[in-house]
Amino acid sequence: MPQAIFVVHLDDYQGFVVEKRHPFSFSLNEKILNLIFYEHEKEEKENLRYSEIDNVRIVSFVDRARPRWMACFVLTADEDYEGLKEEIPGMGRLIIELMVENPELVHLDEILESHSSLGEASEEQRYAQIFLTPSSGLVLEKIENEGVERAAKLSIWLKSQVQSDSVDLRESILPLMDSGIVNVEIIGKGIEAVFLVKDVFAYRAPPVEAITKARKSMPGLAAQYQQRVAEFFAPPPPSRGYNPTIPSDDPNSPLVEDREKIARVLSKKIEYKVLTSLRDEPLSVREISNRTLLQEEIVQNALFSLESENVAAQIGEGIWALVTNPIMESFIPEFVLPLIADKLSNDEITPEIARRHLEILAEKWSGEQ
Amino acid sequence: MIRSLYILGQQSNVIYSKEYAKSESGEGLVEFLVNFAHFISSVDLEGKTEYMGFSGTRIFYAARRDFVFMFVADKADDTAQIEERMTQLVDAFIKDFATLAEANLPLEGLDAKVDEIAVTMVKVAILGYAGVGKTTTLHLLRGETLPLVHDPTIGVSIKKLPDEVQNANIVLWDLAGQSRFSILWAKMIANAQVVIIVTDSTLENVLRSKKLVSLVKEEVPEAKVIGIANKQDLPTALTPERVGQILGIATYELVAIDISYRDRLIQIIRKAILEGKGEAKPVPA
Ligand SMILES: Nc1nc2c(ncn2[C@@H]2O[C@H](COP(=O)(O)OP(=O)(O)O)[C@@H](O)[C@H]2O)c(=O)[nH]1
Ligand SMILES: [Mg+2]
Repeated sequence: MPQAIFVVHLDDYQGFVVEKRHPFSFSLNEKILNLIFYEHEKEEKENLRYSEIDNVRIVSFVDRARPRWMACFVLTADEDYEGLKEEIPGMGRLIIELMVENPELVHLDEILESHSSLGEASEEQRYAQIFLTPSSGLVLEKIENEGVERAAKLSIWLKSQVQSDSVDLRESILPLMDSGIVNVEIIGKGIEAVFLVKDVFAYRAPPVEAITKARKSMPGLAAQYQQRVAEFFAPPPPSRGYNPTIPSDDPNSPLVEDREKIARVLSKKIEYKVLTSLRDEPLSVREISNRTLLQEEIVQNALFSLESENVAAQIGEGIWALVTNPIMESFIPEFVLPLIADKLSNDEITPEIARRHLEILAEKWSGEQ
Repeated sequence: MIRSLYILGQQSNVIYSKEYAKSESGEGLVEFLVNFAHFISSVDLEGKTEYMGFSGTRIFYAARRDFVFMFVADKADDTAQIEERMTQLVDAFIKDFATLAEANLPLEGLDAKVDEIAVTMVKVAILGYAGVGKTTTLHLLRGETLPLVHDPTIGVSIKKLPDEVQNANIVLWDLAGQSRFSILWAKMIANAQVVIIVTDSTLENVLRSKKLVSLVKEEVPEAKVIGIANKQDLPTALTPERVGQILGIATYELVAIDISYRDRLIQIIRKAILEGKGEAKPVPA
C-alpha cells in the first residue's frame, strides 16, 4: 500500500494547497506539485499518471469533472505500480468527491485501510448528465422530434433557442454521445448528421425487489415498509400518487419536474453507491458500510441526503430502505422509423442518410432484443 | 480570504452578493445560506459577529435591523480580522444603504464600498517568455537578494508581497515562461486583478509577447494589464515607449537586477491594483 497520500487543490489565489495529507509528517515541495499538475494538463484525457521526481515515486489521479483537484499516492521504493493501477483511480475518485462535497468526512488513513473507492460512471449515471446540462436536454428533445438532423442545422436551431451565440453544439451533444443516445457521423460529401439511436426515460420505480426480499428476511418490518411505499405511489384519494405512465405532456405528470431531481440523485457518486446497495434489500448503516466499503459516517450522510429526495427512509430501528427507486432506462426509439420515411419522401434527407440510420439502429438493437 | 459576501433582506432574499473567488462548497452554498439567514434573523446575536464551519469554509454572519450579513471565508483566516471587516460592512451598510434597500431603491456606491472592505487578497500574475526576468522581478519586489543565474521556474511559483494595498494582501504568481508550460497560463491567470507582462526589451521578444497580451485580454478581460520593458541596462534595449507602442498597453521601464527600481515598481503595481478595482464592476445580483 502507498506510504502516503496527499490531496492537492489549485486555488486561484493561493496556488497549490495540500488540503489533506496522511501521514501528517509527509511533505512535498512546490516543484513536485507543479510537475505532476503539468503532466496531467498535458494530456487532458489521461487521469492516472506515474511519475518519479527527485527520487519520489508518485501515482497521481485527476477526475475530469473536478479539474483543480489531484489525489496523489506516494509509493514505497519497492512497490509495484502495475499492481496498484486498478485500485488507485477508485480511491482517488472517492477522495476528490468527498473533498468537494463534504471535506470533514475525508479520513485518508481509513480510506487507505479499508480500500474504499468509487467506480466509474455507470450507464444510468451517464444518462443523468444529459438532464443536468440544460442545453443537452434541449437537443435531445429536438432530435426526438426530428429523428435525424444535420449538425449545422441543429447548431443554428440551438443558438436561436438559447438566444446566444456562445452556446456550442459540440458541448451540448457530448453527454448524448457519451451515453450512446446519438451517433454523429459524416455521411457522403461532408454532411455531418446527428442520428437518434436510443431514447431514455427517467422515473421512480417502486422498489419491488427490496420489498420481496424484506418479506422473507425481515417479516416484522415488511408490512410497514410496503405501507410506506404505497403511500408514495398510491395514497388514498384525494391525494394523487406518483404515476409515471401519465404521458409527460399532461400537466399532472410528475415526470418533467422529477426528471432533473432523479438525474441529480443518480449523478451524485457517493449517494449513488449507497442507493445501489439498497436496491437489493433494506440494510442497516453497518451493513451498507460493509458492502460498499464506505465508512459508516459517509454512508449515514448519503442516507440523509437520499431521504431528503424521497428516495430512502428509515423503516425500522436503524434499518434503511428505498421508498422509490430512481431509474434511467434506455429504449428503442421505434417512433423514428416513420420520421425517416417521411423525411426521405420529402427529400429532406438523402437515401444514404436514411439507409445509414436504419443500419445504426439495427446494429444497436439487433443484439439486445 | 473573504471569498464571497451576501446581504439578505427581510424575506431572506439576497439583496446584494459578490463572489471574489470560487469556494469549493459548490452549488449547495447559496441555498444553505438563504435557509441559514432565515434562522439567524430569528435569534438575537446582540450585534455580534459569529461564525461556523461549512463544508471546508467558514461562514461569518451578523444581523442588524432586518438585514443579515454573511461572508464565506477560509478556515485558515484570522477570525478577529474577518470580524473586524464584518463590523465595518454592517456599519457602512446601515449608515448609507439600509434605507435605500428598504425602499427597494438601487444601492449605488455599495459595490465600491464593499470592495474597499472585503477585498482581502489581490492576485498579481507575472507573465512573459523564458529568461526575460520574471523571477528576478519577483525577488526584487519582495526585497530579496537577487540570484544572478537563470534557474528556470517550473509551472508556477507563488509568493506574498510584504506590502499591502488597502489592507489587502498581494499574492504574486510567477509563471514559468518556457513554451512547454504555456498550456498552464490560461488556468493560472484566472482571477488575477493585475497581470504584468514582462519583456526583455528586445524587438524579437516584444513582438512575441503581443500574443500574451491577447491571451490575457481573452482570459481575464477585467484585469488591469501592464507591460514591463526590462533589462534597460543593456545597450540594445528598446525604449519603454517603443515597447508600449508595440504591445498596446501602458509599459514601464525596469532593471530588475537593480534594487533601486524596487519602490518605483511597487508604486506602479499599487496604482494598477487600485485602477483595476475601479474598473472591474461586476453587476450585483
Ligand atoms: N542585464 C540584466 N539581466 C537581467 C535583468 N533582469 C533579469 N536578468 C537576468 O536574466 C536572467 C533570467 O532571469 P529570470 O528572472 O530567471 O527570468 P524568468 O525566466 O523570466 O523568470 C537571469 O540571469 C537574470 O539575472 C536586467 O534587468 N538586466
Ligand atoms: Mg522564472
